Amino acid sequence: MIYLDNAATTLKKPDCVVAAVTEALCNMGNSSRGTHDSSLKSARAVFAARSSLAKLFNAPGPEQVVFTQNSTEALNMALCGLFCKGDHVITTALEHNSVLRPLYRLEDEGVISLSVVPADRQGRPDYDAFSRLIRPETRAIVCTHASNLTGNVMDLERVGAIAKSHGLLLVVDASQTAGAYPIDMKRMNISVLCFTGHKGLMGPQGTGGMCLARDVRIRPFKVGGSGVQSYSRAHPAEMPTRLEAGTLNGHGIAGLGAGVDYILEKGVDAIHAYEIALAKHFYEGVRDIPGVTVYGDFTNWNRTAVVTLNIGDYDSGAVSDALWEDFGIATRPGAHCAPLMHHALGTAEQGAVRFSFALFNTLDEADAAIAAVKELAQCD
Amino acid sequence: MAEEINYYILFANYTQGLALQELLKSEGLRARIAPTPRAVQGELSCGMSLLVLPEEIDAVRECIARHNAPHHSIVPLPCQIRPGRGRFC
Ligand SMILES: Cc1ncc(COP(=O)(O)O)c(C=O)c1O
Repeated sequence: MIYLDNAATTLKKPDCVVAAVTEALCNMGNSSRGTHDSSLKSARAVFAARSSLAKLFNAPGPEQVVFTQNSTEALNMALCGLFCKGDHVITTALEHNSVLRPLYRLEDEGVISLSVVPADRQGRPDYDAFSRLIRPETRAIVCTHASNLTGNVMDLERVGAIAKSHGLLLVVDASQTAGAYPIDMKRMNISVLCFTGHKGLMGPQGTGGMCLARDVRIRPFKVGGSGVQSYSRAHPAEMPTRLEAGTLNGHGIAGLGAGVDYILEKGVDAIHAYEIALAKHFYEGVRDIPGVTVYGDFTNWNRTAVVTLNIGDYDSGAVSDALWEDFGIATRPGAHCAPLMHHALGTAEQGAVRFSFALFNTLDEADAAIAAVKELAQCD
Repeated sequence: MAEEINYYILFANYTQGLALQELLKSEGLRARIAPTPRAVQGELSCGMSLLVLPEEIDAVRECIARHNAPHHSIVPLPCQIRPGRGRFC
């Protein structure tokens, strides 16, 4: 199998991640619950993972790193816990349903009003629209760091500067970039950074979280067991316990921490350079094949290692199915949970086939994918 | 040559689809999991579907009816890519 669906989840994890999860499954007690050896092993693994993530994202410190099941949960916690009735929120056409649906629900419940920054046919956001859409009651900009459909990266320094100059919160969905593209919370003025553990961070599924800037307060949506302050009626107010209730996914977090350490050792820039070289090779191999349409902005390589295309008017599901059944190449067709992006690209009807590369892919695999696309494009 | 038709069974979610595949299998009927074609899915995007053989479609319908098996719909679609490439099941 040639696995080119890394934007959905990275299939191949570093050996150290597998070893860390195995070790945790054999030896880990409950984090923050007691002081015996097994419990402390867990507490230390969780603390180490917080520290590594804070370092990777230049977050204020380990206590500002909160663990969740995935970025969807982090986004829901952030969006439902930040806004009050009457707030106006700006988001973009690049977003995944994990941003859109919580915002739509808040809008439908009459809590917020919502404006959407449009994108052009190449999937590029209209940066001028951010300032244009700001109103007196605007509270936040909520945006993805990269489109999971096109691989286009949002210029977060630019968006962060707009947010800062208007006193707005900046909530970022880093699902597609965490571990695969440089992120600096301070330089980018990010208030809340939501990440998922199982994609570029190369950790297990069921891990993710958010990093909060020092002054950001999110209303906790769940309270309960915390292992500390047990006689207090209220859930502890201190970070990160404030936003975590119940036993953490310690086994998963141990793996996530190992993944982040692996990334820190390799360097995000080096990982990005490797992945983008594969994507570039693939892009250059397919873009001129008659009948192939590639979507996204390829005028520069400040993007993620995603190349999305269609072949003629073939249904994207049928193409992806043929790639899998006939060539053993795993891709993702359809709508990719990004309805507004498909509308902007004009692919709402056809969908599109996404090829996404990661650190454990090779140039030979990219070549095999090019050959498969060529073959499918030739048969009528 | 007559146009080759694929029969896609659509579902509201993967759970329904995987349950029906097991059921069909237990009755000796073949069904391969495939991406749901954009052309038919409307709001049901991003999903899985079951591809069944044209010669077994009546038996499949009968099995679904007998068990009242949850599914969205069954859609016939002409095969778009390399008809007869023989990679059904
Ligand atoms: C841009 C974007 N946001 C959010 C998500 C949701 O990630 P998760 O399913 O891990 O919560 C994804 C992953 O599919 C994504 O690509």
